[in-house]
Amino acid sequence: MKNLIFFSLCALLFISPLLVLTVYSFAPGWKFPQLIPEHLSARAFVFIYQQWTAIGKSIFISVLYSLASVLLTLIMCYFPAAVLAQKEFKGKKLVEGFLITPALVPPMSFALGLHYMLIKLGLADTFTGVVLILSIFSYPYMLRALMAGFQVLGNRYSLCAQNLGAGFWRTLFRVELPLLLPALVAGGSVVFLVAFSEYFLVFLIGGGAVPSFTGYLFPLLTSSDRSLASLLSLGFLLVPLLLFLFLEMTITRIYRKKGMN
Amino acid sequence: MSCRSEQFTGGVVLKLLPLLLPYLLLFMAGIFLCLAQSMGKFLPVPSSLQNFEAYVRIFEDSSFYACFAFSLYVAFLSTIISVISGAFLAYGLWKLPAWLRQAGIIYKIPLILPHIAVGFVVLVFWSKTGILASVAHTLGVIDSADSFPNILYAGNGLGMILAYALKGTSFVMLMLLALLSGFDQRQVQSARMLGASRFRIFFRVVLPRLMPGIHTSFIILFLYSFGAFDIPYLLSESQPGMLSIRVYNLFFKRDLVNRPEAMAILVLMFLFAAVFIFLYSRAVSGLSSSERKI
Repeated sequence: MKNLIFFSLCALLFISPLLVLTVYSFAPGWKFPQLIPEHLSARAFVFIYQQWTAIGKSIFISVLYSLASVLLTLIMCYFPAAVLAQKEFKGKKLVEGFLITPALVPPMSFALGLHYMLIKLGLADTFTGVVLILSIFSYPYMLRALMAGFQVLGNRYSLCAQNLGAGFWRTLFRVELPLLLPALVAGGSVVFLVAFSEYFLVFLIGGGAVPSFTGYLFPLLTSSDRSLASLLSLGFLLVPLLLFLFLEMTITRIYRKKGMN
Repeated sequence: MSCRSEQFTGGVVLKLLPLLLPYLLLFMAGIFLCLAQSMGKFLPVPSSLQNFEAYVRIFEDSSFYACFAFSLYVAFLSTIISVISGAFLAYGLWKLPAWLRQAGIIYKIPLILPHIAVGFVVLVFWSKTGILASVAHTLGVIDSADSFPNILYAGNGLGMILAYALKGTSFVMLMLLALLSGFDQRQVQSARMLGASRFRIFFRVVLPRLMPGIHTSFIILFLYSFGAFDIPYLLSESQPGMLSIRVYNLFFKRDLVNRPEAMAILVLMFLFAAVFIFLYSRAVSGLSSSERKI
């Protein structure tokens, strides 16, 4: 009983926002002081259907630059994570401390300076520029996850593979990466979420030329049409969830095929 | 795993290179340009504010101190609320029977929602004509929207604090549940059998185990809410504003001549974050070493 009360409290805190957003999506005219909306309408859904080209494009580009950031942070962090997890050298703590800072200091402090540099390089208002800024902001999460993975794994497996004659790439793709998959998924999910939900950095570097879901949503949040804003906010839950589900199913299938569990 | 301490050799540097290069060429370069522009160099349009003039101007402006104090207050209060509620909820969730604990995954919802969407949720719930006002009206506590307390735009930053706290609570729970998953429930049970009260169990048995996660989340959440832009842009009031909004206004809205001042504020925020991380980690390591002595 006590457990149920505690759980209901959690549900009230975490589910009630979803519930209200869902109800608002169906009830554009929901106003104070109605506790339950008096009229339901599918207006928000109709709007999304009509505007689908623009909305779909902004979601697609957002997913694309978030996935690109996951890939880039993986490439950036893979070997450094192995070194930091498995080797001891002087000044290691210091290097680790410095490498973690981009996730801690105010993002504006490097983003506005970097913005000037990207303009000079012709990378402002481009997809590449957005991926670069999101990666430099979010790679510490990937680094931490991969380091944890390498610490658990040790270097025994890769040594074995190399002793048996596997080359560098073969060891990487056939031994290390599959064994590190859980760490990779953990780090990748965080990087994806950080990139997908970032508003300011994309708006600054993308400059409106790179469409984004957050950029599409923001003006609607302050508008009077709460129904549409609610429905699109729910999209922010739906897109990552569908993606994670797809990922989980794919990984399970791969593991089954290989007879691992 | 090799435990032999090596020098910072060429091999190590080479393997760190994929990260060191972008770190230096993008992150450090960004910070350097911010510093240079704050001193009037490398500007798209020359400014009359050279060397340390922008800093002098900032320090002579009393509204800067008000913004700084306000940012500290919002960051500190929201982080404290997140850490306390996150610790209790994580502990409570961990103690639930397995089938309920699985359903407890709902705590991740605010983590997945972007900051601007969480800000919108606060707007929908706490505005004078929001959901909570409707609930209060139905219960007969208030008779019109005007008698609902002014939460969002009263100048006390409560709207931002609520939004950061909701997002932060989930974050703290994520960090602490990871620690708790390696913690044996039987330790709590044996403490109980030895006659420890619930209160004592939480503070003497469980909490010490959670402290590393609490410190990490405190640093991350405090510095994030201190310097972030998204939620203040949606929920902030005009006076005194958050520092990030002040920088935004100086950078984008007013004359280009003010750019060194915007950059100088960012340099000060960066220095504050660096000093905070340094002092906090020193204080924590000092604390834990004195604990070990006991």
